[in-house]
Amino acid sequence: MPFSIILASALTLDAPTIFPSSQGEPFLEWLSNSVFVSVCVAAFIIWFARQATKNMTVVPGPTQNFFEAVVQGLYDLIESIVGAHMVARVFSLLATLFIFILVSNWFALLPGVGSVGWGQAGEYGFNVTAPLLRPTTADMNMTLAMAAVFMCFWLYWSITEVGVKNFLNHIFGVKGGLTGIMALALIPVFLFVGIIEVVSMAFRPMSLSLRLFGNVFAGETLLSTMITLGKDLKLPAPIDSILSVTIPIPFYFLEILVGLLQATVFMLLCSVYIQLSTSHDEEAGH
Amino acid sequence: MIPQLIAEAAATAGGITGSFTLAIAGAAAAIGIGMIGGKAVEAVGRNPNASGKVLTLSIIGMALAEAIAIYALILAFQGR
Repeated sequence: MPFSIILASALTLDAPTIFPSSQGEPFLEWLSNSVFVSVCVAAFIIWFARQATKNMTVVPGPTQNFFEAVVQGLYDLIESIVGAHMVARVFSLLATLFIFILVSNWFALLPGVGSVGWGQAGEYGFNVTAPLLRPTTADMNMTLAMAAVFMCFWLYWSITEVGVKNFLNHIFGVKGGLTGIMALALIPVFLFVGIIEVVSMAFRPMSLSLRLFGNVFAGETLLSTMITLGKDLKLPAPIDSILSVTIPIPFYFLEILVGLLQATVFMLLCSVYIQLSTSHDEEAGH
Repeated sequence: MIPQLIAEAAATAGGITGSFTLAIAGAAAAIGIGMIGGKAVEAVGRNPNASGKVLTLSIIGMALAEAIAIYALILAFQGR
């Protein structure tokens, strides 16, 4: 984790607050635009969930039907990876992660997010430096927090599921069913393998958070460069305004796909990590 | 150290600028993702009703490959 703090601090982590100091003393220092958007996204999800489950009927209405389809689909997908026994414990966190990341990624594509806010006049007209709304996952703090929370739960689930002895055996133990002198001879080798295993496990939250953050951040910059493409190419006024509307359209579809893909990938990788460390000792069988 | 040497040499010689780490990482990740995609299509061609499982595995594989390019992208944003 210390490595992640060094790298995380190197990135542009200071999401600007909604009330920047230029308006006198900043009113709420910690309320950065990403935090504000994450609260809006969470409120929207909670409202939709309550709306769908208000009066549940046997023959579901449209919203309830959609909600059930989403939950059922996620449940089957996670069950196929993590196994029937673990899915009951694991499903709630993974489904929440998936839905929250998906809704916040798609929320970021709405007009006005990132383009309304404080700034000063630039060559593209008004240059927004501190946008009021900014996608939650475009801020390294959020993705790192999600990855760290998952790793804590992963540790808790693994240890409670297979017990501390087995857990350490998974990492440092002599694998391959060796016994007797061969096992004794290979103990130092497997200890070293265990250290590499621990390093790769420590890097998992980093790779989870950097992947999500990088994709959303790159998508955001891609869209902004595509919108200002006409002006960059010094095209005359009517053409570049037409271009700045038509060119980003395919990239918005790309962003919709990337938003869905990154949410699925985050959930899939989390469930694969859980499955890796909590699979019982069937592997000794085959 | 070495990427910096290459960067300076190339910049002075042909005026080539930009991030070399991202160029190399992006190319390698693209090749990796292409191979995963190719093999996934072959697997589905061989066994069409396993497409669900193949899709899940190929998505995980591609995500892991793409993560490497994203690390380089973030380094590139910091001018390395």
